Amino acid sequence: MLRLTRFSPKLLGFLAIVILLLALINFTGEHRSRYTFIENLVLTAISPVQGFISELGSSASDFLQGVTGYREILEENRELREVLAARDTYRQELLELQKENFRLREMLGFQERTEYELLPAEVIARDPTHWFETITINRGYYHGIEEKMAVVTAEGLVGNVFQVSRNTSKVLLLTDSRRAVSILVQRSRDPGTAGIVEGYPEEEGYLRVINLPPEANIQSGDTIISSGMGGVFPKGLIVGEVMEVGKDQYGLLQQALVRPAVNFNRLEEVFIVLDIRQEEENIEGNFSMEGQREGRESLL
Amino acid sequence: MDNENGITLAPYLIIIFLAVILLVLEGSFFALVFLRGIKPDLLLIVIVCLSFLWGEKKGMILGIITGLLQDIFFGPAIGFFALAKMLSAYFSGLISREIYKDQIVGPMLTVFFATIMHESILYMLVSFYWGAEMGFFVAVESIFLFRAFYHFALTLFLYPIIYKADRANFFNPSYR
Repeated sequence: MLRLTRFSPKLLGFLAIVILLLALINFTGEHRSRYTFIENLVLTAISPVQGFISELGSSASDFLQGVTGYREILEENRELREVLAARDTYRQELLELQKENFRLREMLGFQERTEYELLPAEVIARDPTHWFETITINRGYYHGIEEKMAVVTAEGLVGNVFQVSRNTSKVLLLTDSRRAVSILVQRSRDPGTAGIVEGYPEEEGYLRVINLPPEANIQSGDTIISSGMGGVFPKGLIVGEVMEVGKDQYGLLQQALVRPAVNFNRLEEVFIVLDIRQEEENIEGNFSMEGQREGRESLL
Repeated sequence: MDNENGITLAPYLIIIFLAVILLVLEGSFFALVFLRGIKPDLLLIVIVCLSFLWGEKKGMILGIITGLLQDIFFGPAIGFFALAKMLSAYFSGLISREIYKDQIVGPMLTVFFATIMHESILYMLVSFYWGAEMGFFVAVESIFLFRAFYHFALTLFLYPIIYKADRANFFNPSYR
């Protein structure tokens, strides 16, 4: 019979600590939309320092980029001038379309979908490890932030809040492989083309649309937008542009490589969507470990 | 501040202060300056070097304390980095028994292997809780080894500083 006395107290203590930490991971990973008192204290005390150091880092990064990429900046400047000239024409057309759209919406009695209450926030820290794609912003529950609120920029969708302290919140970026978003192809709007955007660790910084049926109307250059399903993300926010379309590993469904509209490396200011309408269906609402596991299994 | 087991509190308070500074720098400064490049985990290097000098018992405590701090800052759950850092520090302290502490190659190799161990533990935890999309050997080849070599090289500069600071009782002011 196995006797405990055969094990040294040191080994038992070591194993006890390992088991305790594993239990702690399991417990805190399940239900951790709010921080504990100690975490709140540490994060609240440190957030001004993080903000200051982040600004320093941003300045250093800008300086380094300016030094190393002077030619690229000149070239980019020339290209941007051309793009701007072209945009002016599009802008006029879009204004006309917007007016028409507004009139039609009024006629139909629809509430304007893009009228969300936005709260600006600054990015004060980024996860330095390569395991997670998260940022920390300088707004917390004191400012009305809650778990699952969508985070956007003028360019498009950034991610959503997943942990909230008094004055700071952690945001899970679209590029994190734990995140999945229901999307639409803007051009076709075929319901069958709704897929799931996931972080794509093999191509860092890119996203992947999976679960697209074989007949889905999607091609390179298409714009991907959020479908609004689940009540977490507002409908119609730009997610990115399709770079490649191909078959999945089993050859049954289509998948696409998407370049995100937002430059996640250069995020400095973001907006939190405060008032999205809650829908009954909740595809991407669950951020607990169990929820993510179940969600992943059911999606793949 | 000695207790019955000869463990003093001062070194741990200094390490907590140092860890907070390193974590703020890693999250706010390095994350912007290095952008998408693989960023060094300076905290891991410091912890492994100190465990190498202080042995597995103190190393284990260092690993837990600093890992818990990292969990508060960046962890998806409490205990995630604490477990990885504790085991890496314990490993470092164990193998240091057989290696000369005043020669640089020992700690450099220890940091190299401790980094691979640290990353592998994190990989296993991520795989278990969220499912890793990247295969283990792909991750070793494309990330872990690169990071291990990176840390290996940085140890060349950091270990002499940590070694001298330790000899000068920087971490234990009461013995100065």
